[in-house]
Amino acid sequence: MKKIFKRDQTNEKELIEQLIKGDSAAFELVVGTYHSLMLSVARAIIGQAFADEVVQDAWVSAIKALPKFEGRSSLKTWLLQITSNGAKTRVRRESRQLSLDDGWESISADKFDHTGHRLDDVLPWEEDTPDALLENEQLQAIIEERFNSLPANQRAVLTMYDMEGMEMKEICNILDLSASNVRVLLHRARTTLHHTIENYRDN
Amino acid sequence: MFQCKDVAEEASNYLDGDLPLKKRIGILLHLMICRCCRNYLQQIRKTIKTITNIYPKEQHNTDVKSLAEKLRNLPEN
Repeated sequence: MKKIFKRDQTNEKELIEQLIKGDSAAFELVVGTYHSLMLSVARAIIGQAFADEVVQDAWVSAIKALPKFEGRSSLKTWLLQITSNGAKTRVRRESRQLSLDDGWESISADKFDHTGHRLDDVLPWEEDTPDALLENEQLQAIIEERFNSLPANQRAVLTMYDMEGMEMKEICNILDLSASNVRVLLHRARTTLHHTIENYRDN
Repeated sequence: MFQCKDVAEEASNYLDGDLPLKKRIGILLHLMICRCCRNYLQQIRKTIKTITNIYPKEQHNTDVKSLAEKLRNLPEN
């Protein structure tokens, strides 16, 4: 199921050299590519209120430290690690507790009988290939809206695992969560978006 | 014996290959006899593929161009 994302080290090395030289196109490319992702991580750790500030600080720290970047991890992981460290420091300062249970809608218990069997019939989405689903602009807008209303920690896990193809270990490290918690968040995010598509199809 | 509820709870872990062998076999056996759960897993698979293709991003009001310019002009840079 998991996609394999290969890192292009040559291009990344060139990109970093251009950044160090102060090339404006390289700066725009890097900020445009990673800003949303960094924000996603910061919001998952510290919440909406301080995330922008944390990410701005992370950018400044990263750019200043760029000449020392050794390329042991990808630029993406390195940026996310800096963001995560900044957000965790800020959490300690703000002493905010974040819950895993924000906004979780599981499969309703009334879909199963007392023995755990499904009561309703589940039909395959035969005609709706992902491409066909994507051609539907209304559905696309609904999915985007629902994605943005997911709890921040679910959005971050879904983005890093399903969309960015990052390893579970990296995600646990960045968000400072156990693998079982990350898996719970991932499953909740996927289930919620599955409900969204299912409801759209039913209406 | 695994039930539909167990498959619903473990769907992500099953699809990602993150289940201990005993649970994996339990689910496989259930899938052999349950069309609803096979269809449910197919729907979750398509959901993941669809989200990956849509690639929704975090909403923000940051002006990426001016942030890039600000970073480029950092004193130490």
